[in-house]
Amino acid sequence: MPEISGYAFPNDVHVHWSLMIVMYPYITGFVAGAFIVTALYHLFGKKEFEPVARLALATSFCFMAIATFPLNLHLGHAERAFNVVVTPHFSSAMAGFGLLYSGYFVILLLEVWFVYRREIIETARRSRGVKRAFYAALALGTYDTSPEALEVDHRAVKLLSAFGLPAACMLHGYVGFIFGGIKANPWWSTPLMPVIFLLSAAVSGIALLVLLYQVTAKLGRRPIERETVQAMARWLWFFLILTVTLELLEIVLLAYENSDAWHIISQLLTTRLEFSFISVQMIGGSLVPFILLAIVVTMNAYLHDRVRNTLASVASLLLLVQVFSMRWNVVIGGQLLSKSFRGLRSGYQPSLFGREGVIVAIALFVLPFVLLWVFDRVLPIERAAPPAEPSREPAAEPARRTA
Amino acid sequence: MESARHVFRVLFLLLVVVVIFSVGRTFLVPKSYGAYGPYRFDNVAEQAAVRPPQHGGSASCGACHAERLKAVTAGAHRKVGCEVCHAPLARHVRDGARSAPMPVDRSFTLCARCHRRIEGRPAAFPQIVLAQHQGGVEGTACIDCHEPHSPKL
Repeated sequence: MPEISGYAFPNDVHVHWSLMIVMYPYITGFVAGAFIVTALYHLFGKKEFEPVARLALATSFCFMAIATFPLNLHLGHAERAFNVVVTPHFSSAMAGFGLLYSGYFVILLLEVWFVYRREIIETARRSRGVKRAFYAALALGTYDTSPEALEVDHRAVKLLSAFGLPAACMLHGYVGFIFGGIKANPWWSTPLMPVIFLLSAAVSGIALLVLLYQVTAKLGRRPIERETVQAMARWLWFFLILTVTLELLEIVLLAYENSDAWHIISQLLTTRLEFSFISVQMIGGSLVPFILLAIVVTMNAYLHDRVRNTLASVASLLLLVQVFSMRWNVVIGGQLLSKSFRGLRSGYQPSLFGREGVIVAIALFVLPFVLLWVFDRVLPIERAAPPAEPSREPAAEPARRTA
Repeated sequence: MESARHVFRVLFLLLVVVVIFSVGRTFLVPKSYGAYGPYRFDNVAEQAAVRPPQHGGSASCGACHAERLKAVTAGAHRKVGCEVCHAPLARHVRDGARSAPMPVDRSFTLCARCHRRIEGRPAAFPQIVLAQHQGGVEGTACIDCHEPHSPKL
């Protein structure tokens, strides 16, 4: 029986949106965040992101593949999941999911295909039997790797990034919209919510890639590019500042207005969410990484590579926790306060086992990395040969003839 | 154009997917979907069929327990339905006849739901501070001292 302080309506004492609803925006956030990193290279021509562009695309794809799992686990009846795709409408934000998810997934699939097309063809040429048939089918039967065709790929990737970036932003913005559009709950109902979700998605995506990039480089015995870590740290810092500014702005505005909701939200933040909001989200997850990244960004010239990598990694790890605690504080926090604005229920503890338990949540977080490993087996994330610009590659022409 | 052949292939594949989806959708969307809004209207009747009403209301209790109902309707608990403290009618009556003994919730938490002291309640409403009432009521049933059907004390 949850403890109640103050005056809470009887139907406000249950936390219906459990840990899986915390995991849902967390996982979807990586999709958008990782895509932003790819777009920085493909769309905005940030050359320093080249070593992580493919890793980011693959990460986005793998997280996208399981983005619906938390919702299915929460709702049950996974066999009905397809209904949301075949019956989209605009009377509920959640029902728009079908359009946004499938639209973005198509863009992501196409982008992966265009980025990997040359390697798919080369693998098909090198292989025999079933493997050859598989890669030939993936290549859709065209083996054209002429410079002109690769230039077309290049342009297609750019175009898809141009569509993919707003699609990724909308996909995650709408997750925030679901909460921002619940007017009965003052902790959720703010137009800032989609923006905060989106920016924190960028933070989590870049933070994950800072870690993934270094781990995969270490595993593959490749050098860690200084410029790449430095650029990611810089963008991470930028998005962290924006996110925390907006997160605080929302609260400061409520406090300054001293609105009727502030009475209960101030209690919520200082009692029920004291640890997860103040200690984890704001101090451990925001202030500390802010300082660490500030050192990386402003003292670039004086830092040894090892120090830079360590500082960026620690900051990224803390930011992954920060974003998770932000999702937790929004999703769970919003259910601890009563619609009376005069009562709170005691904190929520998720179960360890069960469909929506902690173990399943951990498994969900691990699953995309397993998928990433499978992805790497099928379409190697690191190029075997040094990267070459498709437009300046006359050597590819004879290769086509030998096919 | 020659070098963009693969682009046309992938676009054609996409078109095929869209066509399959559009055709498949007509089979997948239930017939009554959208009749009165974005939901399957047949589900309303289906749910009603598989979920017969469990509660009967105080009047249905009065059919057999007329005296008890009369006492309740005369007392302070007249607005509290029988099935709030007793179980729903379906647990006790089946096909118009008694099927099982009626369970009763005698816990203090049930009474506390309305009578626990909360700032938001009207001052005149009978309320107690759980920890102070009779040296702490936990584990002690309120109905040992109070008559639940027509409470006066």
